[in-house]
Amino acid sequence: MWADTLLILFISVCTALLGEGLTWLMVYRTEKYQKLKAEVERQSKRLEKRKEAHGDSLDKQHKKKIEREEEELKNNNRDLSLVKMKSMFAIGFAFTALLSMFNNIFDGRVVARLPFVPISWIQGLSHRNLSGDDYTECSFIFLYILCTMSIRQNIQKMLGFAPSRTASKQSGSIFGPPPQQFK
Amino acid sequence: MTSRIKGFEKNGSTVKSHALESIWTRAFASNSEWPDKEEFLDVIYWFRQALGIIIGLVWGLIPLKGFVALLLFVLVNAGLIYLYFTNFQHVDEEEYGGAWELTKEGFMTSFAGFLDIPEMSSTHLSLCNRLGTFQPLVYSMNIPNYFFSAYSTTDTTL
Repeated sequence: MWADTLLILFISVCTALLGEGLTWLMVYRTEKYQKLKAEVERQSKRLEKRKEAHGDSLDKQHKKKIEREEEELKNNNRDLSLVKMKSMFAIGFAFTALLSMFNNIFDGRVVARLPFVPISWIQGLSHRNLSGDDYTECSFIFLYILCTMSIRQNIQKMLGFAPSRTASKQSGSIFGPPPQQFK
Repeated sequence: MTSRIKGFEKNGSTVKSHALESIWTRAFASNSEWPDKEEFLDVIYWFRQALGIIIGLVWGLIPLKGFVALLLFVLVNAGLIYLYFTNFQHVDEEEYGGAWELTKEGFMTSFAGFLDIPEMSSTHLSLCNRLGTFQPLVYSMNIPNYFFSAYSTTDTTL
C-alpha cells in the first residue's frame, strides 16, 4: 500500500510534467498564443486602471469606453481559449487513455488509508471499486485527483505557465464576480 | 530575483535608483516594501503551499483525524497567513482587494497538498501497525527517533 501511494504520487508528478510539456509544445510556444496572452494581460491591466479611476463615475463616455474594452477583452479571452482548446482535447484524450490504464492496474487495490471518513457524496470516488465498508480505504482515482490538484498548479506556477491573476480576476472566478482590487 | 525601482529626486535633475532586496529576503523581513503586488501574492501563495505540507505532516504524525482535523487546518492556515500579512508585513489589505482575496490565494492547492500528506502518513501508520514496528515516515528528514517513539506499537491486530 505504501509503495502504491508513493507510486501514485510519482505518476501524478510525471503526468503533470508531461501535460505541461505537451501544452508547451502545442500551445505555449506558438506565436499566436504568446501574442494573445500579452494582449489579454495588457488589456486587463488597462481595464483595471480605468475602472479604478472612473468605476464610480456616472459619465456616459467613460462607461462606454469601459464597456468597449470589456467586450474586446472578452473576445481576446475567447480567442485564447480557442487556441488552447485544440491541444487540450488532444492532451485530454491521451490522459483519459493513461488514466484508464492506471485504473486497470490499481483496480480493487487499496492504495492509501484516509485519516477521515469522507462525506457520503465523495465516498463513491474515494471507495471506487473497493470491497468492504471501511470508508477510510482509498482508491487510486481519489488519491490521483488529490495529488494532481496539488501538484499540477504548483508545477504550472514554477514553470511560469499559470494564467495571470489580473486576467483571471477580470474574467471572474468560482469565488464570485470580479472584485474591485488593486486600488 | 532582484527588483529595481527608479525614481526622480525632488528637484527632478538626478535619477536615483536602488535595488530592492530579493523577494524571499523581503518575505522573511518585517514591514517590507512591495511595489509589485503580484510578488507579494506569490509569496503568500508559496507560504500557503509550505504551510499545507507542514500542517499535513504534523496532523499526520499526531495523528489528528476527521472533520476536526479539516476544520483546524482551515483555521490554522487562514489564521497564520492573516497574522503574517497584518501583523508581520503590515500591508494594507484593501490594496489587494480585501482580506478575503489574500486569504483565498492558493488555498485550494494548499488544501489538496495538506490532504495528500496525512493520507500518506495515515497509510504509513496503518502499515506499521500491521507489521508491528514503526518506521518514521520522514526518515530522510533526520528528525530524531524519540519524536516517533509514542507511535511505536506491537499491536498486530489492525
